[in-house]
Amino acid sequence: MRSRPIVDRLLGVWGLLVIAFLFTPIAVIVVYSFNSGRLLASWEGFGLDAYSAALSNDDILSAVSVSVRAAAGAAVIAVVLGTLCGYALARHPGGRIGRLVTTLLALVLVTPEIVSGVALLPWFVSLGVDQNLTLFNSGWVRLVVAHSLFATAVVTFLVRARMQGMDSSLEEAAADLYTPPLRRFRSVTLPLLLPSVLAGALMAFTLSLDNTIISAFVQVSGSTSWPVYVFSAVRAGLRPELAAMSAVMLLLTLAALAAVALVLRRAGGSKETVGALSGVR
Amino acid sequence: MTSDRRVPRAARRAVPPGLLATPALAWLALFFVAPVGLVFWYSLGRKPGLYQTHANDVLTLDRYREALGDTFLTSFSGTLRIGVTGTALCLAIGLPFAYWLAVKVRPHRRFVVLALVLVPFWTNFLIRTIGWQVVLSPEGFASRAMQSLGLIDAPFSMLFTRGAVLLGVVYNYLPMMILPLYVALDRIDGSLREASNDLGANRWRTALQVTLPLARPGIAAGLLLVFIPLMGDYVTAAVLGGARGNMVGQLVASQFQQAQNWALGSAMAVVLIVVIALTILATAAAGAVCTWLLTHRRRRELAGIAEGSAA
Repeated sequence: MRSRPIVDRLLGVWGLLVIAFLFTPIAVIVVYSFNSGRLLASWEGFGLDAYSAALSNDDILSAVSVSVRAAAGAAVIAVVLGTLCGYALARHPGGRIGRLVTTLLALVLVTPEIVSGVALLPWFVSLGVDQNLTLFNSGWVRLVVAHSLFATAVVTFLVRARMQGMDSSLEEAAADLYTPPLRRFRSVTLPLLLPSVLAGALMAFTLSLDNTIISAFVQVSGSTSWPVYVFSAVRAGLRPELAAMSAVMLLLTLAALAAVALVLRRAGGSKETVGALSGVR
Repeated sequence: MTSDRRVPRAARRAVPPGLLATPALAWLALFFVAPVGLVFWYSLGRKPGLYQTHANDVLTLDRYREALGDTFLTSFSGTLRIGVTGTALCLAIGLPFAYWLAVKVRPHRRFVVLALVLVPFWTNFLIRTIGWQVVLSPEGFASRAMQSLGLIDAPFSMLFTRGAVLLGVVYNYLPMMILPLYVALDRIDGSLREASNDLGANRWRTALQVTLPLARPGIAAGLLLVFIPLMGDYVTAAVLGGARGNMVGQLVASQFQQAQNWALGSAMAVVLIVVIALTILATAAAGAVCTWLLTHRRRRELAGIAEGSAA
């Protein structure tokens, strides 16, 4: 018992060090977004030049807009497919379709991005060029489809975790009162699922915004996404504009995250959210 | 009465629940199973000419022979080394942190700390990696500050080395390790630790023989979530490792993007999947052996105690 305070204090110091480690590069990017010099890494002076440069740079704005539109599309697809699938898996876990889908979704989660990227590029080319489905020559469609796969898996497991924590008596009561199936889903099931659906939508959106490797493969010229643009800038030379745009996006993401966290906290599901997110159930 | 209840039950089954999973199944079949299957198929083909990417008129394993050449193997062993070291470091850093978060931090503060771990997770990882490039750069503020304080004599020389790549991957994948570890540790009933304490085990023994075995699912999930994406990642290495950061993912990518040799690139991708699967299997086997040794030894001890008290 005597060793307790020392070990506890060491653990506390370790915890703070890890948090500091996690925040170091973010703080650096935010600080350097106020660099008035021409190169990101060499500090010249404090100024807002980078922000005005970023917000008037057409390449940057178009890359961010491509990313945001792709993320919105991927989030919509992932929420629709994932909510239905997660609900089905929770209410009917033993079925053959259920087992097959669960296996496939788990495989999607553990496939390295590079493999998904090299698999989707030839597939889109053969669909779009050989089969003449011109839909798949659109950069937006390609990004949306490619980003929706991982996100669907995340939403499915979130919704399933939420649904499993809830018994079906409310739905059964509604059924016993002769509520038609669609109405039952809308006015009983969906409100119960809302926190996990929201969390899933936000995750799908941010995962898509973050995606570099798959996007680099499937994009077509003219639809360069923001991370791919940044990655090409790493080779060409980094300017403070990138940091400024990143700081703006960080602020927006944090606002969205805080809103969802508030909803989740009110619904009391933070633990299961983290659990489902991290694959532990 | 029974017929009364049968009607709503029938209505309840209006949409069979299994059917609701079929849209996702169809989507995955079309955009996951088919394309990945195509990669396996391409890997058995060849690149017929300068302007064609692939052909499967003759099925051959030659691409695998080609893929396992010297360049690939050198890069592959480097990637595997970074993958294994990086994953191990993430576990070493993340385990005490997750334990602190799940056990020591007061419950009402836990949500805040958890949010702090999540914030970097949801910031663009490429941007964060660039942040490290700024920190490590020889003319950067950290290098200058440490020189003026007399802590180092020369500017930083860490950027574009394997050490920088390792720092970058540990940084980028650490939250993926912390989250499942936290969830697993948080689920362990605190009274089990108290019981172990009451029965005379000291803190280390409780940690090693009670807490750690119970946290096993979280450890396994964390190892998977870090190791798999890390093995395919070449972006972190390109930003922090420069020419030295040649990961195997870069080789695969260049076969598709520059060399336009889909057959060879596919074979490399398949080799990558197989090696990742083998590494996971080997780790799982090692984990099972460790668990067996631990429980086996403890059983013998218990038997000894029983004999001792009987005597």
